Amino acid sequence: MNHVRSASGFRNPWLQLALSVACVLVSELLLKRGASATANPNSAWSWTGIGGLASPLVWLAILFVIASFLSWLYVLKYIPLSIAFPLSRVVDVLVPLCCWILLGESISPRRWFGIGLVVIGLAIVAQPVAKLEERL
Amino acid sequence: MTWISFVLIFISLIAFVIGQLLLKKGMELTSNAVPSRRHIALFIGGGIVAMTISFFLTLGLLQRFDLSYLYPFQGLSVILIAITAALTLREKLTLQLTIGALLISAGIVLVSLS
Repeated sequence: MNHVRSASGFRNPWLQLALSVACVLVSELLLKRGASATANPNSAWSWTGIGGLASPLVWLAILFVIASFLSWLYVLKYIPLSIAFPLSRVVDVLVPLCCWILLGESISPRRWFGIGLVVIGLAIVAQPVAKLEERL
Repeated sequence: MTWISFVLIFISLIAFVIGQLLLKKGMELTSNAVPSRRHIALFIGGGIVAMTISFFLTLGLLQRFDLSYLYPFQGLSVILIAITAALTLREKLTLQLTIGALLISAGIVLVSLS
């Protein structure tokens, strides 16, 4: 972890990690909206998802994907992948929650249990990081 | 869900893991005292190709399944990436990190099975 520098402000890799996650979340929700609107299972190329490009929402989602990608590259420069990647999966909790709130998809008891496990796992991965940051 | 959907999800997952490893390696190279632009471009470019394949496969799958059902399959990537990063990039995989990654993966799989 010695290559995590105590960069401040916008250049802080942890802030960039949060930004990257936020952009991924927005892009996923836009992609689902856009992909559903353009779904055509009868097309021979439907398995590639290329038809989704007909939706402006998909293009907007791609912009968010690019933004998340750029901040993610910055994150990778400073934080080990085996720490940054598990933490970035907080998005896997946020996506079902937002689907529930915004897209009206349902969350079963088992899914809630899974969300709970992810949150505990995130806390376990983040704990040594928090200690390290305190020392900086 | 048909077997072909599972195959597509699997290919998308493996392409995603390979992509992340290539990107990380490429960004590590930028910290070298004398960075080789050709090597960096090769790793970042390879990473982008792998991520693009994964992206379009996911987009196609999204046209058939709910996002909250389909997307969490990517959760398996957490433990896969933690292990492969330790093996190929020589990152330290502590017991605490392994347990955390396993819980996150298990949680995401549970979410995806619902």
